[in-house]
Amino acid sequence: MSANILGFEIEIYYLVILLPLIGGLFGYLINRLRTEFNFVGFVLTLFFAIKLFIISRNEVISQVTATIFGFDAKIYIDSLAGFILLFNAIFAFLIWVYSLKAMSKKPRERAYYLYIALTLAAANGVVLSGNLIFLLIFWNVLVFSLYGILLVGKKDSSFAARKAITIIGVADFAMMLGIVILLVKVGTVNFPFAPRILLNNPWLIFSYILIFIGAIAKAGAMPLHTWIPESAKVVPASTMAFIPASLDKLLGIYLLIRVSYFIFDISGSMPIRIILMAIGAITIIAAVMMAMVQKEAMRLLSFHAVSQVGYMVMGIGTGIPIGIAGGLFHMINHAIYKSCLFLSAGSVEHRTKTTQLDNLGGLGTKMPVTMFTFIVAAFAISGVPPFNGFYSKWMVYQGVVELSGQTNLWPIFLIAAMFGSVLTLASFLKMIHSLFLGQRPKVLNKVREARFDMVVPSLILASACIVFGVFAKAIPLKHLILPALPFEIGEIGFWDPRLATILIIVGVIIGLIVFLLGTAKKPRRSKVFVGGEILDEEAARITGPNFYSSVNTLGMLKKTYDFGEGGAFDFYNYLLGITRGLAVVFRDVINSLIVAFYKYIGKLIKALGNLTSALHTGELYNYIGWMFLGGIIILILLVL
Amino acid sequence: MIGLDFFLDRFGIFLSALFIFIGLMSFIYSLVTIKQKGHRLEYYLMLLLIVGSGVGVALSYNLLLIFIFWEISTFAIWRTVGFYRKEENIHAANITFFINFAAAAIMLIGLVILYLDNGTFNFFEIKIYNDLASVFILIGILAKSVTIPLHIWLVPAYKSVPSAIGGCLAGIAENIGVILFLRLFTAGNYFAPEFFNVVAWLAIATSIIAGGAALLSKDLRDFLAFSTISQIGFILLGFAVGGRYGMIGGALYILAHALAKSGLFYGVGIIEDATGKSDLNTISGMFKVSPVLGVSMAFLACSIVGFFPMIGFFAKLGVIVGAVEKSGYFGIGAIVAAVFTILYIIRFYNNLFFGEKIGKIKNISYTGLTVVFILALVSLLLGIFIYFPENYLIGNGGF
Repeated sequence: MSANILGFEIEIYYLVILLPLIGGLFGYLINRLRTEFNFVGFVLTLFFAIKLFIISRNEVISQVTATIFGFDAKIYIDSLAGFILLFNAIFAFLIWVYSLKAMSKKPRERAYYLYIALTLAAANGVVLSGNLIFLLIFWNVLVFSLYGILLVGKKDSSFAARKAITIIGVADFAMMLGIVILLVKVGTVNFPFAPRILLNNPWLIFSYILIFIGAIAKAGAMPLHTWIPESAKVVPASTMAFIPASLDKLLGIYLLIRVSYFIFDISGSMPIRIILMAIGAITIIAAVMMAMVQKEAMRLLSFHAVSQVGYMVMGIGTGIPIGIAGGLFHMINHAIYKSCLFLSAGSVEHRTKTTQLDNLGGLGTKMPVTMFTFIVAAFAISGVPPFNGFYSKWMVYQGVVELSGQTNLWPIFLIAAMFGSVLTLASFLKMIHSLFLGQRPKVLNKVREARFDMVVPSLILASACIVFGVFAKAIPLKHLILPALPFEIGEIGFWDPRLATILIIVGVIIGLIVFLLGTAKKPRRSKVFVGGEILDEEAARITGPNFYSSVNTLGMLKKTYDFGEGGAFDFYNYLLGITRGLAVVFRDVINSLIVAFYKYIGKLIKALGNLTSALHTGELYNYIGWMFLGGIIILILLVL
Repeated sequence: MIGLDFFLDRFGIFLSALFIFIGLMSFIYSLVTIKQKGHRLEYYLMLLLIVGSGVGVALSYNLLLIFIFWEISTFAIWRTVGFYRKEENIHAANITFFINFAAAAIMLIGLVILYLDNGTFNFFEIKIYNDLASVFILIGILAKSVTIPLHIWLVPAYKSVPSAIGGCLAGIAENIGVILFLRLFTAGNYFAPEFFNVVAWLAIATSIIAGGAALLSKDLRDFLAFSTISQIGFILLGFAVGGRYGMIGGALYILAHALAKSGLFYGVGIIEDATGKSDLNTISGMFKVSPVLGVSMAFLACSIVGFFPMIGFFAKLGVIVGAVEKSGYFGIGAIVAAVFTILYIIRFYNNLFFGEKIGKIKNISYTGLTVVFILALVSLLLGIFIYFPENYLIGNGGF
């Protein structure tokens, strides 16, 4: 399928890589026309991505375009790839629209757009590659662009960028080794792998684990997540919404599903699946516990971006078709609601210039649309029906329950998942209160609603949350998720979101009627005073951040939190610590050995020199004696 | 016994082109940085000798001729390391000369044994490899190509060498050892696999240990020295594991490393000249001083780490595929070394370029900047259009 661009016939799948690249690069070079170039880049990419998605529903595009370095540069687009491709383009477009206002006149704005375009091009490249080596190549470009985009910070973000590139880079090398082992042991890394590879050889298991590390480092599951909260503090909200919240999840989970069910087949290997589910469970609980006690909006959201990965990894780890579908569905849902949350919080930050929850509050009346989008997305992430997050979590739960015949550990995973959901809701109640409810600080009285091009992307995402939840079976599952997976999925539970939605709406209406009838008591308002002195309203303001402060002052947990904040669970610190420790050992022990070696050689030579100089005393009779001795030896040798 | 025995094969032409390009870049950079009146003429002679001896080793098939070029190279390195003629420079030059010369003398014994066994110095006709001779020659190779435990001369040498010729040291002079290894040892099946396994493990150990030292080094020159040692380990690993990918990977690695390391050397030289300091921890915020330098050095650093748009990616990939084909454990070792590489490169780059500007910073010479930029650009273009070097190397008469 080719398209005609300015008289050239070009295959569409090249266009989705080239267009953002060209748009971004020219926009960077010709700053005056940046918006125009970017517009062409992003909108046309979206257009062609939709086209490719439609094609991929009916046929699989599989084409070897060239051979580079002995590997086939293969394009392979099945329905999974088409689906991810579509959402890459959608998110990039929405973030671009949002950034037009949010990033204007910010430092290094030009580079920001270049990196967004580069990221989109590389992400599309990852999805299109039909060969793991080429997937690795595009994956590498993503490391590059991630480093660049993290450097475009609100303040000095070089440390966060360094942390990110270290973790992702190390995981990349692990993945490289995994792919190379696969190449050497199996002989090919071209898609599709038929038959799929069974995990029956230690090297193949090792290879799977290494590629898995690359995937979850991208997706941000524990323990490779720490760069996400680190960068949340220093980079703009739109960057967070674009990379860790949406694109990285799309790509990481895409690779995880690819490697788990298209390349290898892990459904026969229970230990691997249990490891996956355990990583999922730990990620859910640990990250949400950290999120609960955060006092800064972006950092709180970023811990949720980690926590939700747990559901996806857990769903994929179940090995049960409905669980895997749930994991994939949760990925797309997460990308939608989490980027919506970041964008809404970014709008608040744009107007109020702060993200400290202590300094915010009561913005609901000032920014009603933002409040609406935020609350919808917050309910979706917490798994409140009928929003989309509930449906996908529901599918993951079913997958875990269906494990009951295979392992006895399933109740633990189920409890972890459900408990995580409860804690998510708790922490979002805190955040909603801190941002939109409660008393408003006086400094925020002049705050207005964000401009329409910042509100519209959030609104689109929020309505997607509702549509994907209420019409889950009819739209996303039927058209996106189920065609993308290689197995049949039976009946998906008895949950009918449409009926539930009607009931919920009826409930809300009844509640409203009761409220409006005035039978509910109006709250009494009076001045706050202490000891006869009337307190300033500012001082009496109840802020959100301390909602759950009892959690982190609770004996055991307090210690754990202290460790957590101190970086005790940070893979990066361990990586640096271990390598530096090894380095010290290398430097000291081995260098001193080598130095000693040279010293002794020096001593040896010196000793030889001393010996010969001792023979040369400068006295004549000594030399005559030596001459005689030498003459006698020569004589003896001649005679013999 | 000895004649002007030269031959042209694809690998030799590839290396000659690379060496002359590196030499040209070094020459341009020298024009603005080498200002000493007295022995400036000698400097350019030595520069040409280093380039010429590198090309000579790459193109001759007579072992004795190779040895002569080898010694010319040693001599030129000795003179350039002592270029500034201060006490510590002369000391460093002496260490360099002693180790290189002693190892070359041992190597000469090995070469003579080979001659006595085979009756020729032509390495195409050598069929009988005496074990002792091989070990002796290996010692010479390891000393020249800075492999542990004979790497020790490189650190003082890098500290005292003018930055303008450091790129030549990294890009040309240290490669001739691995070139001889490739020419002499990997031509046929004369060796037990254990020999190559030992060399491969030695290369991996060198790479990891030097990577650790680079991670800790405080001085810019120390950093460059250990980084070079660790990267040359990868080249040696590629040639030692052999196979198609190992060979191409090793050859591309020579290319990638020569371009990137000489570029980094000139970049470091620019930074040293501008700030007057050479402590990694006291220089920062250079990105604001010169974004062009920052971006160029980022590309060069990525080439050393092995990230895609750069040629270094394919070099590393080739070496690792070759290593895994031989044994998965080599692959693990190579990846550990690669992890060390990424850690020390990121530390180096982040420390230098980000953070607050410290102290007074002089203007940056545009000539030097151009050289670094060209090297970065060439690394990038070769990485994107990888099929040019790759097709050249695997073409008729190549690997």
